[in-house]
Amino acid sequence: MNIKFALAGNPNCGKTTMFNALTGANQYVGNWPGVTVEKKEGKVKGNKEDNITVVDLPGIYSLSPYTLEEVVSRDFLLNEDPDVIIDLVDATNIERNLYLTTQLIETGVPVVIALNMADLIEKRGLKIDTKRLSMVLGCPIIETSALKGTGLKELIAEAVKVAKQGEHQLPQSIFSEKIEKAIDTVVPALSETITANKKRWYAVKVLENDEKVMNHIVLSSQNKTTIDSLRKELETELDDDMESIITDGRYTYIQKLISTTVEKPKEKLTMSDKIDKIVTNRFLGIPIFLAVMFVVYYISVTTIGTFVTDWTNDVFVVAIQDAVSGFLGSVGASSLLTAVIVDGIIGGVGAVIGFAPQMAILFLFLSILEDCGYMVRIAFVMDRVFRYFGLSGKSFIPLLIGSGCGIPAIMASKTIEQDNDRRLTIMTATFIPCGAKLPVIALLGGVMAGKVAGWKAAGFIAPAMYFVGIAAVLVAAIMLKKTKPFSGKPAPFVMELPEYHIPSAKTVLLHVWERLKGFLIKAGTILVVACIVIWFLSTFGFEGGSFGMVEDTANSLIAAIGDFIAPIFAPLGFGNWQSVASSLTGFSAKEAIVSTMGVLANVAGDPEDAVNVAAGVAKWFPTGMAALSFLIFNLLDSPCLAAISTMASELNDRKWFWFAIVFQNVYAYCISLMVYQIGSLVLYGTFGFWTVVAFIVLAFMLFMLFRPDPYKDQKTYSLRSVEA
Amino acid sequence: MPLTMLNIGETGEIKRIGGNEETRRFLNNLGFVVGAEVVVVSAIGGNVIVNIKDSRVAINEDMAKRIMV
Repeated sequence: MNIKFALAGNPNCGKTTMFNALTGANQYVGNWPGVTVEKKEGKVKGNKEDNITVVDLPGIYSLSPYTLEEVVSRDFLLNEDPDVIIDLVDATNIERNLYLTTQLIETGVPVVIALNMADLIEKRGLKIDTKRLSMVLGCPIIETSALKGTGLKELIAEAVKVAKQGEHQLPQSIFSEKIEKAIDTVVPALSETITANKKRWYAVKVLENDEKVMNHIVLSSQNKTTIDSLRKELETELDDDMESIITDGRYTYIQKLISTTVEKPKEKLTMSDKIDKIVTNRFLGIPIFLAVMFVVYYISVTTIGTFVTDWTNDVFVVAIQDAVSGFLGSVGASSLLTAVIVDGIIGGVGAVIGFAPQMAILFLFLSILEDCGYMVRIAFVMDRVFRYFGLSGKSFIPLLIGSGCGIPAIMASKTIEQDNDRRLTIMTATFIPCGAKLPVIALLGGVMAGKVAGWKAAGFIAPAMYFVGIAAVLVAAIMLKKTKPFSGKPAPFVMELPEYHIPSAKTVLLHVWERLKGFLIKAGTILVVACIVIWFLSTFGFEGGSFGMVEDTANSLIAAIGDFIAPIFAPLGFGNWQSVASSLTGFSAKEAIVSTMGVLANVAGDPEDAVNVAAGVAKWFPTGMAALSFLIFNLLDSPCLAAISTMASELNDRKWFWFAIVFQNVYAYCISLMVYQIGSLVLYGTFGFWTVVAFIVLAFMLFMLFRPDPYKDQKTYSLRSVEA
Repeated sequence: MPLTMLNIGETGEIKRIGGNEETRRFLNNLGFVVGAEVVVVSAIGGNVIVNIKDSRVAINEDMAKRIMV
């Protein structure tokens, strides 16, 4: 039999962990509310009798229509008729979780409660009378621990049983007599098309005057007047608006219920509270965050990072190149084939793969920070900074995710309520260096270090680039917030903070592996193609009047293309065709910048000798400033195609999309121009026409940054839209 | 008095919630209802983290000013 379960519950109570445990999927889990924005479907594994589908819904606190997550969940539960709702209730926070339960039961769909995190009940000194709780609520309760995988079989068995029963108890009354009487008056007024089991839900919503429901159902004008006056009567009598009265009613009911079923130990400051006191301290909060991120990036590209990467690049890749070319020579492969494989594919992909260990370490740190619950605190700490610049701390969440990959970061901006703030975040989220940009940073960091004699501090480049990314977001935000399309007060910041926990090795390693796997797959597909294309373009061309393989790469096709565009980038310090070609391939994937550099360095190098990519690349940049400017340009310009298409679908508007693309590239160009020209003036004393231009750009930017905000007095919140 | 006036570690009982309607509803759903007890865990220049019904909720100054305890 085909059965459909819906997983519903509060944010961060373990729905996605449960979903993964049930279906064997590897959906992204994180220790903060709102990781899942869209619903996801999967099949329950290990059940042969029935065909069971589970739908993981975004976490919600209620079934009101105010947030995107609520609308998605609510529409699914009411319109797609799941057979059973599996309601995840966090045992450590039972009162708040049961608030949603009372609403889920009202929808008329049978509910099975999974009392999750049951393993923590005893640890916390809690005592829960599940039998009584189950009896009063009228639905079965199974104790589970999604993380440890306990109770899942029992849960599925119970849910299947309930689904097959067909009939189940109708939702019962939970409110005070007055409200219940009002509900009883509304029920008969509802149209016959609403089935008996859903009547109570609609009656409560009609009483609350829920906008979405009111637009959706038909009431005779006479009934409407009766209900309106009934509502007004209750509101005057209880001196509150109807929605608050209902909310209050639910909490009163739950309080009564748990006073007889749950025993809580005396409250004391928990470990989380103690940690929060320090990391969200008004003076220490931001310095701690900066220090943490510095250490993360510094360690990723230096200590363990370089040791492993140097070894892979110098020894491993070269050894493979030698072995493969020897093998191809012995089987008599043509020299052309040998060249495309050795110089093109291995040289290019190898240059990127060499950075895999560094990425793995970065991903490991980021996963630990996310999973332990620290990252979401940062959104709170940064809210003060962001609000000063006209953004909400909520905009910081996509930026945090962006340090892993820009695509989920752009998608995470969905939870930002205000349209203009969401657009702003989508446009700027990819300024944060993603994992794919790490190889670029590491390679260019090495180049820069090589340019400055005796400077061993290449490791500082990676954390510096992270902070450049954040600064770039803030600068862009300040400038744009002072223009009309982006003006408006940010929404108030209200967010639940998860408890700290020691990250589970399984979750963290799974994260790291998932991300690394994505990177390796990309290396094996997009990058191989990119490398072959680049190899072809850099090996063939017109020389001596005829088309063919060229002796000098300067005559190759790619050089011709690059030379054509290069003058545009000359003011930024990298007006040579090699760097231009690398930047262009960066749009396919940011790692392709490194792989292209690998191919070009290999092709240009002495065919007899193995090539050190970094040394080859260093020749293209006359000064360290030029390398820095190249790095910053590639950090801030439009992201890879995959991220660009995500931007397009999230912005969902042609005009905005093109504005975003133009803005990102012009912005990147301006910043790089200023860095290169002013930097060169300071360091090397070079002065020219473009130095003047750089100062004009700087003056313009400073004006945009510090001019009085013409929309400062706008007290209203900007527009928002919630569409499912 | 507004929630922002409570010192770290102090407990208050919610008397009234004002301000922007949507946020007020969101706070209601999180358990901020009249009569509920809140404990201030941390405060940074008006932004507060409070304990309510066994969970921790971060609220910025704008909103915290409008929660009366």
